[in-house]
Amino acid sequence: MNMLQPDHAEPTAHGADHAEGGFDAGETIIGHVANSSFEHPILHLPVVFGIDFSITKHVFMLLLVATVVFLGVTLTVRRYLRQDRLVPAGFMNALEFVVEFIRDSIVLPNVGAKYVRTWAPLVLTFFCFILAANVAGLIPMFEVVGLIDHYVLHTGEHSVIKNMIHGGPTATANFNVTAALATITFIAIIVAGTLAHGFIQHWINLVPHGLAWPLYILLIPIEVMGMFVKPFALTMRLAANMTGGHIAILAILSFVFLFNEIFSSALAGIGVGVLVSVPLSVGIYALEIIVVLVQAYVFTLLSAVFIGMAINVHH
Amino acid sequence: MPDERDPFLARSLQFLQANLRQAGPAATASYSLIGAIVLLGGAGHLVDRWQGTDPWGLLAGLLIGLVVGFYELAKAVWRP
Repeated sequence: MNMLQPDHAEPTAHGADHAEGGFDAGETIIGHVANSSFEHPILHLPVVFGIDFSITKHVFMLLLVATVVFLGVTLTVRRYLRQDRLVPAGFMNALEFVVEFIRDSIVLPNVGAKYVRTWAPLVLTFFCFILAANVAGLIPMFEVVGLIDHYVLHTGEHSVIKNMIHGGPTATANFNVTAALATITFIAIIVAGTLAHGFIQHWINLVPHGLAWPLYILLIPIEVMGMFVKPFALTMRLAANMTGGHIAILAILSFVFLFNEIFSSALAGIGVGVLVSVPLSVGIYALEIIVVLVQAYVFTLLSAVFIGMAINVHH
Repeated sequence: MPDERDPFLARSLQFLQANLRQAGPAATASYSLIGAIVLLGGAGHLVDRWQGTDPWGLLAGLLIGLVVGFYELAKAVWRP
């Protein structure tokens, strides 16, 4: 796990294969997956209370995705509500399908009819945000920006555009991001239990009642640990899935440069690329599109299940 | 159950929804089992690094992780 931490990710992203030490596949892959380093943030911000608020690649992607989702959804819904006849069209159609799907087949069966309207907005926000952040990681927008910069703009070594190219574009591949999302779920579980049963009763509900007292000595610690296990499982699963697929694609693509180096001929590299790397990575990329959807779905489903467990207590 | 007269796509979606509805507990169970083992095993490993009690923290963490994981699994599976 250590290798995924951002401070190990020196910004070698696009220059690694030209470095004099030859092609370092590991360094290049991590450079394309991990957050960009604090030395070259996109925007320098001051350090407050020992926390560097500089905007790195993943923070930039978070802000970008949040803005796109917020504007996309609010503008579409506003335009829809201004119509004379309330008939959804275009993007609104898709949005309505997603809202109904999340509400009726994820939130309703888990949370129950009484609290659907309380928790559907949170779960929907999770779904839209995670899906958008995952999808944003699959769109090669920074590569296009880099190409334009390389051939047209020719900006300096530490320009905003150069700094933007470093680091991976998938914000949800960062454990800090998914941990923050899971923390929201963790708080939502407690709030849901409190709203449904009262604060004290929520904690009493955690352990089954009517058992012999020695069992409680065992069960209470287990339940407390279980409370942290749920958000932890959410954190690891989302981040690991988003990182894993990208690493697989990059590892297969790095065959091109490795073979190029081993046989010291461009033809070997290009041959491996055409015959093996590109077809395989296109296949994995197609799989990634499914993974992106499934992971957003699983996160929202599990959040809804956990919130529902706090509300509908059965013993 | 889906209506036979429904168009194909709507019927498929209804089946998908029904399946997803049933998938909830299974997904919860599997992920909490793995999550508990990894989290508490990791916590045990950190205790090892901190106190220098090399294999024992990890082993204890994994064991407690197994217990917590199976407890969560049982709770998810036996939920009425």
